[in-house]
Amino acid sequence: MAYRLGPHSDTMDEEPERAKRWEGGYERTWEVLKEDESGSLKATVEEILYQSKRKRVTQSHAQVRLGMMRHLYVVIDCSRSMEDQDLKPNRLTSTLKLMEGFIDEYFDQNPISQVGIITTKNKRAEKLTELAGNPKKHIAALKKAVDSSCVGEPSLYNSLSLAIQTLKHMPGHTSREILIILSSLTTCDPANIYELIKTLKSLKVRVSVIGLSAEVRVCTVLTRDTGGSYHVILDESHFKELLMLHVTPPPASFSSESSLIRMGFPQHSVASLSDQDVKPSFSMSHLDYSGGPALTLGGYFCPQCQAKYTELPVECKVCGLTLVSAPHLARSFHHLFPLQAFIEHPADNYHLNRFCQACQGQLKDKNVFACPLCCSVFCGECDLFIHESLHCCPCCIHNRTAT
Amino acid sequence: MASEDELNLLVIVVDVNPIWWGQQGQREPEFTLCKCLDAIMVMGNSHMAMTRTNRLAVIASHCQDSHFLYPSKTWKSGDSGGDEISSSRDGKYELLAVANNLIAEEIKNIMTKTEVTGNSTDTLMAGSLAKALCFGQEMKSRILVIKAADDCALQYMNFMNVIFAAQKQNILIDACVLDSDSGLLQQACDITGGLYLKIPQKVALAQYLLWVFLPDSEQRSQLVLPQPAHVDYRAACFCHRNLIEIGYVCSVCLSIFCNFSPICTTC
Repeated sequence: MAYRLGPHSDTMDEEPERAKRWEGGYERTWEVLKEDESGSLKATVEEILYQSKRKRVTQSHAQVRLGMMRHLYVVIDCSRSMEDQDLKPNRLTSTLKLMEGFIDEYFDQNPISQVGIITTKNKRAEKLTELAGNPKKHIAALKKAVDSSCVGEPSLYNSLSLAIQTLKHMPGHTSREILIILSSLTTCDPANIYELIKTLKSLKVRVSVIGLSAEVRVCTVLTRDTGGSYHVILDESHFKELLMLHVTPPPASFSSESSLIRMGFPQHSVASLSDQDVKPSFSMSHLDYSGGPALTLGGYFCPQCQAKYTELPVECKVCGLTLVSAPHLARSFHHLFPLQAFIEHPADNYHLNRFCQACQGQLKDKNVFACPLCCSVFCGECDLFIHESLHCCPCCIHNRTAT
Repeated sequence: MASEDELNLLVIVVDVNPIWWGQQGQREPEFTLCKCLDAIMVMGNSHMAMTRTNRLAVIASHCQDSHFLYPSKTWKSGDSGGDEISSSRDGKYELLAVANNLIAEEIKNIMTKTEVTGNSTDTLMAGSLAKALCFGQEMKSRILVIKAADDCALQYMNFMNVIFAAQKQNILIDACVLDSDSGLLQQACDITGGLYLKIPQKVALAQYLLWVFLPDSEQRSQLVLPQPAHVDYRAACFCHRNLIEIGYVCSVCLSIFCNFSPICTTC
């Protein structure tokens, strides 16, 4: 299997691979740093820091349909290579810690989606947690898994087929994704993995891989054929960045159907002991909870079968209705109506108006950011905050015609 | 107790819709905008007098825009251009005197200079809250909203964006409602963990502010405060605007309908 050198190849019908880094010419990395007249590197270092801050404001997927309801399986490699200490204290602990942060962020951005965790070691795969919409169970399981031993080799085939068993029953309008965190350079498969890749493609499952060691050929083919992404980490902060890339909803594949899903919006009843009619009841979510039964007064009652739950979103165990609250859906709106990136101007154009219109602070950076719609001026910090958390321009929303 | 160096910011967002206040002045002459601002100044002074590290900001939310009443731009940049107005003649603590004078000056400027277009009796709170969030980025802060006029239905999405941003930054949003209940503010208080109170008697505004809203979040667990209101989280369907308990949600655009149809009208 020969390496292909960039865009000039036309032998295969898939997209050409990028040239490998060692195949390119010399990179003169020392030329990036430039000294100013006094010999100090301060300006260059500030520029590099500024650019890395700006990198966080990502491209918006305007006018592209996004998969809002996602079913994601995360496969974590628990083989012997995870005991390597190049990530402190070892790869497994570091991965599990970052996964907890990932799960929190994932449910923050995709409140009506579900996540399941699979681990693979000793040539087998097993489910750590089932597909569920509640972050607490996943985080508890991740915390417990820190003590497990790393032994044997991972099996890509087994973990993928375990994930497919559940994902293939998911309805067509949801997105089916698998994220593999692979640290080993080998995999032990009972059958031909290329057949499995064809099955994945036909089931429209998108597989992405984050490699902890090096690029592996079979992962490249896997991710390319299913439409996912493949990255190899450089260090821990890069690992975190790559994980967070998977938090935002991916563009929906053109073949996914869209339909109306039946959902319930239960009322939250807050009852106190002084009410006459209130009766304590069990919550359905505690049926398999080993911490002991919990009789509570208030809760969310399913509008179809009146079963009680303590938290949303949840799928009613009795009647199967998905229960959400309106703010959960509202959390995803900013993906549908993303905020345009602000235009960068050099600060010298704005002699008169020296104040950021959001935080009223002085404009100290050398570049200021202007909203293309209302032309108000913001400083760099506010621009980052607006695009990452706020998702709306503070001055545009004063316009009465905005929704 | 919080560490000595941590700054605590209280942002008071006041609804100064002139149409509502004008009507209010005719309904109840003993409670006007001046009295409301007096109560707010008392609250602000009390907050700043509690600890040296407490900070204050006041934003006035007008029909089409929102303005910072305190601190003014020249003050924040560090140069004390307010020497002319800061001399207090009654021995009041300098910071409080400056704050009161600045607030009074700015509100006079705003009410005389801002033009009122249309006769809408609702205010756009989302913009003021967004500015408050941007202002309080570096420090631990909380927001107190004093709402007079009704909700504006157009700003639901922006309002929810602001609420989620506040929740992520652990910023409490408290609400003190003068006239009619506001569903949006009830949701904001519920999601961020703040207090919602509809005042039975407007003239006693200062008492309610000092009793309920002056303590910060750590102290509230030790006090007996008004019970949280029952928040109606049911969604409104897009076709009839009725509140529904079971609905159909489009998987692509998340719009909610009460009846099933094979085609989503939004997308």
